[in-house]
Amino acid sequence: MQQMKHDIKYIARILTLTGLIISYSHNIAAQEFELSDYKMGFKLSTKKNVDNSRTLEVLYQATNKKDRKDRIPIVEALIEFYASYQDSLVLLGGIKTNNNGIAEYIVPASKAIYVNEEGFQTFTAKFAGSEGLKRQKKSVEVKDLFLELNLAEEDSIKTVYLEAFLKDSIGEKVYVEDVDLVFSVGGMLSRMPIEDGTIEDGRYEFEMPDDIPGDLNGDFKLYAFIDDHDEYGTVLQMSESNWGVFDDIQVPEKNKLWTDAAPIWMYIVLTILLVGAWANYVYAVVKLWRIKKIGM
Amino acid sequence: MSEIVKKRVIDKKFVTILESTPNSSKIWIASLVLIILVGLYAFILQVLHGHEVTGMRDNVVWGVYIINFIFFVGISYSGAFISGILHFFDTPWKNAVSRIVEIITVLSLIIGPIFILLCIGRLDRLHYLFLYPRIQSPITWDIIAIMTDLVGCFIYLYLTFIPDFAILRDDEKLDVAPWRKKVYRFLAMNYQDTPEQKAILKKITRTMSAMIIAMAIVAYTVLAWIFSLTLQPGWNSSIFAPYFIIAGLYSGVGVIIICMFAVRKFFKLDLYIRKVHFIGAGVILLVLAMLYGYFTFSEYFPRWFSHKKNDVQLLDTLFSTYFWEFILANYIGVLVPVMILFFKRFRTINFITFAAVIAVLGLWLNRYLIVIPTLETPYLPIQDTRPEFIHYTATWIEWALSAAGIASFCLFFTLLVRFVPIIPVSELVESAQKSKIKVDQKRK
Repeated sequence: MQQMKHDIKYIARILTLTGLIISYSHNIAAQEFELSDYKMGFKLSTKKNVDNSRTLEVLYQATNKKDRKDRIPIVEALIEFYASYQDSLVLLGGIKTNNNGIAEYIVPASKAIYVNEEGFQTFTAKFAGSEGLKRQKKSVEVKDLFLELNLAEEDSIKTVYLEAFLKDSIGEKVYVEDVDLVFSVGGMLSRMPIEDGTIEDGRYEFEMPDDIPGDLNGDFKLYAFIDDHDEYGTVLQMSESNWGVFDDIQVPEKNKLWTDAAPIWMYIVLTILLVGAWANYVYAVVKLWRIKKIGM
Repeated sequence: MSEIVKKRVIDKKFVTILESTPNSSKIWIASLVLIILVGLYAFILQVLHGHEVTGMRDNVVWGVYIINFIFFVGISYSGAFISGILHFFDTPWKNAVSRIVEIITVLSLIIGPIFILLCIGRLDRLHYLFLYPRIQSPITWDIIAIMTDLVGCFIYLYLTFIPDFAILRDDEKLDVAPWRKKVYRFLAMNYQDTPEQKAILKKITRTMSAMIIAMAIVAYTVLAWIFSLTLQPGWNSSIFAPYFIIAGLYSGVGVIIICMFAVRKFFKLDLYIRKVHFIGAGVILLVLAMLYGYFTFSEYFPRWFSHKKNDVQLLDTLFSTYFWEFILANYIGVLVPVMILFFKRFRTINFITFAAVIAVLGLWLNRYLIVIPTLETPYLPIQDTRPEFIHYTATWIEWALSAAGIASFCLFFTLLVRFVPIIPVSELVESAQKSKIKVDQKRK
């Protein structure tokens, strides 16, 4: 009895210690946010849209120096977007960052942007700083690339033609070289890639597959996409097409044990297992019957 | 032959348990029946009103029912596994625990699948599972595996019961109701313990014990695949099947220890279920606790390290909303049993049982954390919906039915203990005969 009491006291002490360790670890998890533990990230990117407008996007977030997974977006920070004009900056507008730390400004296609001698447009994003946060500034240089998508059908062959070009000072097309791009069709959740290649002499063409599913009318959206190019940034172009096929609602195959949809190995493995097990059961029952007969 | 039969009588200790039911036992049985009746009322409400009366909604389509299902089936498979090992290797101290393990196995295997039926919203369409099965579906595999395992377990357990049924049939001094004698006679299948019968029974029991070990592994693996073959965060894991098997064994050994403690205490079987048996089971529990802890760590650490958005989101949920449950399941549920069982001074019957209780509770919570938080953090969250449609809280209906399941387990265990000897009498007789032969040989 004395030993038992002693044991209980001992284990109670261990449990208390465990509890304290757990409480302490919980406190660590709930400790306050320390700005000095974080590194500020201020990224500016640009994307040319299908209507030739341009999106300028700033991602403003703090990343924990010790734990890269721990990222905190900076919200409600006023970001000012500028376009360069010779040596000065022209204010385009100001947008506050959203809950994800993102501020987006769309430069309309009609807005004339200064192009320097090398053919680059320069955009700048600035954050003026606040009591706790330092000033931030980032610039991005990009050439204004145009993509033209044309779809043509000749002799039942459906072909997609793409032209990629810059415009010189008098508006003449200057075709570009060696640019990788991806073609995709729009879906409910994301775009489905159907072709990828490299633009040569400013042109790219391919034969459109004839089994792309469309909507009820056979329509789908075809996208051409250049992803984060060194000179042209991200460029997107889209064209609507009636080349899709619409599958009538298929009558689903009835659920059944023996179907072509299942691989043959599945049947083999399952059959071996089941025959092995049930044969054993039958053997046991037969032997039981024998035991009964012996005892009669 | 008749000489052998005459010697095969039941020990007085077991005769008392089989013949009379004391008042304390009657009160215990009545309390269990009451809990089951409340569960029955809850079940009727669920059938009448549908799953609306439960906490299960669009996101969390599985609740405590599936957790109870996994838990009970896990106990059953581990029982079958351990029982198979005990018989196959003819373990020296199997007599003390084998019958307890066998009863636990068969009861869990009956009660477990009842919980999966409670998960089905339209019970009237239950037969569709058999009319329109898809062989590619893990649910179909599970139905096949559970049914095969259920039949196998019943045959195997029946084989282990036969010699005792024969003794119960032949013991004329045993004062039980005539219908019980008839049942014993029927179940004994003319078994007279002749050398030929003995040899056949031993052979098929041994074959079936090997079969049952394999079946337990296959069936619980298939159950784990129901989760791991989906892409859900927290489920899509290559180690889920062995993790399930280790966790099942861990909880199974825990339940066996608790039952050993209860049987020893209430039926005063200190002579048969001794400290050495608890220490043996405790050491097995210790090894399993460490393995379970290792698998748990291996399961969560790569998820944390992977930086995958949904995995990180799941871990955030586990360490915020389910913080205490996570700590209880995966820290307390492992470390406390390990601490108790690791030190020799704590290896007393009470402490080993306490460790087993902690292990069993921790395992139930572990199942809860596998199922619920994952369903609460889906890949495609439903937008602009009510919080109660996203977050799961079990209703009293679910708790009542869960309690009824546990009560049914306890009730049938109590009734079975009063129907067959909790220690295999035939094995005791055989051991005694073997010892006698050895003594005789020494004398010669």
